[in-house]
Amino acid sequence: MNTASNRLSRVIQNGLLAIYAIFALFPLIWMIILSFKSDAQMYNTTFIFTPTLANYKAVLFESDYLTYMLDSLIVSGGAVVVSVVAGVPAAYALARYNFKKKEDIAFQILSFKFAPEILVVLPLFMIYQKLHIYDTYFGLIWVYQLISMPLLIWVVRGYFEDISVEIEYAAQVDGYNWYQIFFKNLIPLIKPGLVSAALLAFIFAWNSFTFPLMLGGTNIQPITVAITKFLGTDSAHYGQLAVASAISALPAIIFALCIQKHLVRGLSFGAVKG
Amino acid sequence: MAGLRIEHLYKRYENDGKKKNAVKNDYAVKDLNLVADQGEFIALLGPSGCGKTTTLRMTAGLEDITKGEIYIGDTLVNNLHPKDRHIGLAFEDYAMYPPLTVYDNIAFNLKAKGVDKAEIDKRVREIAPLMQCDDLLDKMPVKLSGGQKQRVNIARAIIRRPELLLMDEPLSHLDGKARQAMRTEIKRLINDIKCTTIYVTHDQLEAMSLADKIAIINFGVLQQYGTPAEVYDDPVNEFVASFIGEPPMNIIETTIIGEGDHFLFTFANSNLKIAVPERYNNVVSNGFKCKMGVRPMDVLIGGADSKGTPEEVATFENLGDERRIGIHVGSSLLMLITDDETRYKAGDIIKLEVRGEKTHLFDIETGNRIRA
Repeated sequence: MNTASNRLSRVIQNGLLAIYAIFALFPLIWMIILSFKSDAQMYNTTFIFTPTLANYKAVLFESDYLTYMLDSLIVSGGAVVVSVVAGVPAAYALARYNFKKKEDIAFQILSFKFAPEILVVLPLFMIYQKLHIYDTYFGLIWVYQLISMPLLIWVVRGYFEDISVEIEYAAQVDGYNWYQIFFKNLIPLIKPGLVSAALLAFIFAWNSFTFPLMLGGTNIQPITVAITKFLGTDSAHYGQLAVASAISALPAIIFALCIQKHLVRGLSFGAVKG
Repeated sequence: MAGLRIEHLYKRYENDGKKKNAVKNDYAVKDLNLVADQGEFIALLGPSGCGKTTTLRMTAGLEDITKGEIYIGDTLVNNLHPKDRHIGLAFEDYAMYPPLTVYDNIAFNLKAKGVDKAEIDKRVREIAPLMQCDDLLDKMPVKLSGGQKQRVNIARAIIRRPELLLMDEPLSHLDGKARQAMRTEIKRLINDIKCTTIYVTHDQLEAMSLADKIAIINFGVLQQYGTPAEVYDDPVNEFVASFIGEPPMNIIETTIIGEGDHFLFTFANSNLKIAVPERYNNVVSNGFKCKMGVRPMDVLIGGADSKGTPEEVATFENLGDERRIGIHVGSSLLMLITDDETRYKAGDIIKLEVRGEKTHLFDIETGNRIRA
């Protein structure tokens, strides 16, 4: 009786999960199916068609797709690196030191994420033109800090706050200087938070569209902007668009899989105290 | 091994440079003088926020010194880095390094100093049984209980063979039984290693049971420094008297009246009268107001033919091996401890006798002891 009802509930659970998985993955599957269709079969077939690699060939070898991909990697990766280098010390300061207007500053940093990008992008566009950083790696990495920095600082700050100050004192008495304490004791302790925050920041930066659309130009085009090129004014190459989208999703998926363990632990914040 | 000498020590926390706020913070530690001889166990005792931990941290070098001098042995350590002060520090929150095993936690200090592996291993194996943590060495800190963590914490502090061992409320996070066991263990350990120890606590019982000398601190000022017996029997002021002892000393405002050739303590709204010991005869006078202090142990229940004042029992607590009785004296509650097996209840009348010769007198304004 008991085992039977147990089994039933497990079947129902898994059934529901399967339905959800199909629901969640369907757009992805649809995109991958599209990527194997030729333009001729695009509108008149659903699941049964003659698969072709022509779209892949066109995107990977006959367009500048890989250049755009590289741009995306540089800009998003650069943004995350800058955020980590500047954000971790900032998070430490916000967690450990008492200074004037501390909470105001912390809130200000968080508030960067409040305004919709479209609201600030026009003035930024004018400023960037004047400063001659329009359409440069530097300019894009800088503006991406609006996306990645607040996230990183707030997650990592929480981690620093969870670490007992006494650990730092203990390390001091044990003979470490401040830098050794920071790099050898504290960084390993905040690693789960740091890694997951950095990954999320990377994904957000990678997916960013408004900023690179307005502040990048002909020199630098991250993948999100470049994909729109496959939608011409006279023709829409849905197959190539699908290929471009599918490949552009890969880095984030690969990273996420690699550090899945950290991700789950890392984002449950203070829930797992040592 | 070395002693500790603290001379005219002051500490003030700056109020983050706010210009509007011209009033500076009060001193957290004021003109503290303390000498601990080599091998002595000193307890710094006081309520929360009295400056005892601040003093400890200045000694450890984790906190700047505002004014004054600290010597460990004959070395002035004011400007020495914590690691050069030859101290061991056991923290209140254990402060273990979570990613390291117990072994590595204990060995951390030696590793940071670059001691070679074989020597580290030898010393860890030597210290671990001493603190009864030899079977914990491979575990991670998260897996340990509070008592085990504290053992490892202390092992970590003593493995460096410190000249001065500092302990910051090491028992405050342990529950009753573990606390008692650990207290005994610390006592045994200190007997073994004979290291000069400064022990910060707010628990007078710990201080009384462990320390050779107790320094009682309140509001950053040293109140009294002496052996447990001295601070118990001969408190310098009302604060010390009420801080040491459990339950604390009864301290009640009194008016002294003269009756014939001797004096009596009398209390507002009470007909209790207690004889003033003769040695006070030249400091008291008829109508003299002060506070009288008497320990609960020195208040007795008289027998049937006792001449004691009949008083009504207000509270009765049976603690098993002793019984505590509270009696209203005016608006204060006078506590007494008795071995008497009788189960009293509120409202019972008992004859109250007070060992007059054991009473202390304190000034109403300053709280200072009035001595004969």
